[in-house]
Amino acid sequence: MNTVLLILYLVAGVAYAVQFTHRSFSTSRIASTLLILAAFAHTFVIGMETMRVGHVPFASATSAISTFVWLLALSYLYIELTTGERSMGVFILPLLIALQVIPAARPMLEERSPLLESPWFGVHVSSLLFAYASFALACVLGITYVLQFKEIKAKHLGFFYARLPSLNILDVMNVRAVKIGWLFLTVGLIAGAIWGSQLRPSDDPRMQSMSLGDPKIFVAVLSWVLYSFELYAQRAIGWRGRRAAWLSAVGFGTVLLNFVAVSYFFTKSHNF
Amino acid sequence: MQLLLVGVSHRTAPVELRERLDFSTRGVDRALVALAGAPAHHEAAIVSTCNRVELYVACDDAAPAQTAVHDFLSQFHGIPGDQLAPHLYAKVGPEAVQHLFRVAAGLDSLVMGEPQVLGQVKDAFSLASQMGCTGPLLNKLFHSAFTTGKRVRSETTLSEGAVSVSYAAVALARKIFGNLKGRTVVVLGAGEMGKLTALHMRSHGIGRLIILSRTAAHAAALATTIDGTAMPWESMDAALADADILITATGSSTPIVSRAVIEQTMKIRRQRPLFIIDIAVPRDVESDAGDIEQVFLYNIDDLQAVVQENLSKRGTEASQAETIVLQEVGKFIIWLNSRCAVPTVVALRQRFEGIRQSELRRLEPKMAGLPPEARARVDEITRLIVEKLLINPTEQLKAISDAETVATYSDALNRLFGLTSDDAAEEATAGAGSTKKPRP
Repeated sequence: MNTVLLILYLVAGVAYAVQFTHRSFSTSRIASTLLILAAFAHTFVIGMETMRVGHVPFASATSAISTFVWLLALSYLYIELTTGERSMGVFILPLLIALQVIPAARPMLEERSPLLESPWFGVHVSSLLFAYASFALACVLGITYVLQFKEIKAKHLGFFYARLPSLNILDVMNVRAVKIGWLFLTVGLIAGAIWGSQLRPSDDPRMQSMSLGDPKIFVAVLSWVLYSFELYAQRAIGWRGRRAAWLSAVGFGTVLLNFVAVSYFFTKSHNF
Repeated sequence: MQLLLVGVSHRTAPVELRERLDFSTRGVDRALVALAGAPAHHEAAIVSTCNRVELYVACDDAAPAQTAVHDFLSQFHGIPGDQLAPHLYAKVGPEAVQHLFRVAAGLDSLVMGEPQVLGQVKDAFSLASQMGCTGPLLNKLFHSAFTTGKRVRSETTLSEGAVSVSYAAVALARKIFGNLKGRTVVVLGAGEMGKLTALHMRSHGIGRLIILSRTAAHAAALATTIDGTAMPWESMDAALADADILITATGSSTPIVSRAVIEQTMKIRRQRPLFIIDIAVPRDVESDAGDIEQVFLYNIDDLQAVVQENLSKRGTEASQAETIVLQEVGKFIIWLNSRCAVPTVVALRQRFEGIRQSELRRLEPKMAGLPPEARARVDEITRLIVEKLLINPTEQLKAISDAETVATYSDALNRLFGLTSDDAAEEATAGAGSTKKPRP
């Protein structure tokens, strides 16, 4: 099923690329329709999986990524449908496609551990997934800001200048996305800490390595610090525009590192 | 019916002549009445803008109609015909169609792709149509022209990108700030260029407009003409701290805004973006001020380079727009040719209806004893038979797209059914009353 989703996202991605380069109205309608279709199919897959395991599938790294792709697609569609602005799609779709490769290539193995029954665990994971989706959007907004900023500064008004919304809108939306993401990240981290503190080490051998020394937890806290700084700098010292955009891009880099690389290769405790 | 176009444009006539030919001063409505009143003309429309005066006429024969339009132009404006003739161009049929479509698409404009001309063509048509001067030919012609204009605008980027310095400045400001509502614009210097750019900004709904000039009286005078606020030259720092957009256009021979001043201002502004448009020559703002983060500095040369680039982009888009024009011309010509069949269709219908009426009249004495319902039924049945017999030939005739085939078919029908125009007219008058008028 995840392979089918991957193909659907791929097709939508091609349509978004075509509509972005050619700026054709008819293709843009097709692109949106295709993405809505993909998100709809993804909703169905997540729904089936939820019915099978009894909770939203996010308790393994692979299924968490699938759920994340679904959330990001929905968040992006929400923004596109409310603002009518389609130019971000061509940047979001590659991310969706790249991440969807993982669940398409590896089976989703959901474990049903009594440890994961705690409501704190649910809050922890769902908040973080929301936060990551917001950060992904902020990252794309940041990248597009920088691309256009460079063209305007260089006085060469070219490809992106003709296609992207104004710098101000990109900046305002970036800050908004980071604020929302930061809020969810904070809630998610606190919920995770509470959940961890409620468990006894004897419950699960992996509990022993749950500390700041664990790469996954460390990088998560690091990204929290980074985004906190971005919000502070934006308010206090006027780090808006390009600097905020860069911070959003770097911030999401750490999130992605944590979410994908660390999950599979480094962590001892958090393999989900 | 034929389509004739006679006109002058910026390509054929100097501005002095175009001014004298401008209908708007003497009243386009009056001109339309006079033009459409001429016996050679069935329909008429006048497109009169500062760059062109064009008269579109539907007529039976183009040659006499053309002479009539020439005479009309020279009489209406009081310009001797021989003075006018070398500047006039005349186009007939497909060429006239193509010309109007190119005009509507902005391909024939002084500034290629300028969007206003489509609106002007629309206004010209709606006036002519209000005055009752248009008919089936011009209605279809102008609506096809609007379609062409819209297609060119949505399917090409011919009208994209600012092609004047003031518009380029506004477009850039909108790319930096998004909406200009509530933005503060500061103008240094009370010259013409600064005023022009400020006025463009004003038309995009900016908030405050502050004018500073070394001569307080000049600033005050400009402030009243463009609805701004004059501030003393000494309060420049305060004005800069407020500004979102700074337009500098003084006659100073040395820069008056240094990089250091801008740096200081940006701190006070907490790095709020500042767009500086330096249209003064020599420049008013030190050029390295543009290196400061969140300062966007464009001087007159930069803006002109943007304009040049946009113009050359429009040039490359033009061929695509020409293709659209040709497609639409093709569609229109097909429609026009299918209209050639209309007189034959009308004659055929009138012929059939005439026969029906005369037969009914002949049978009148025999039907006299019938009740009124039965007579009505007879009338209805005969009418339906005629209608059904005619449906297929009518549709077939109208569907033919090339003029030659239409002519062959019409000829055949004329011979087979003995349709001559006199005959048809006679039958039509005889059969008036219950005749259902065929759609043109």
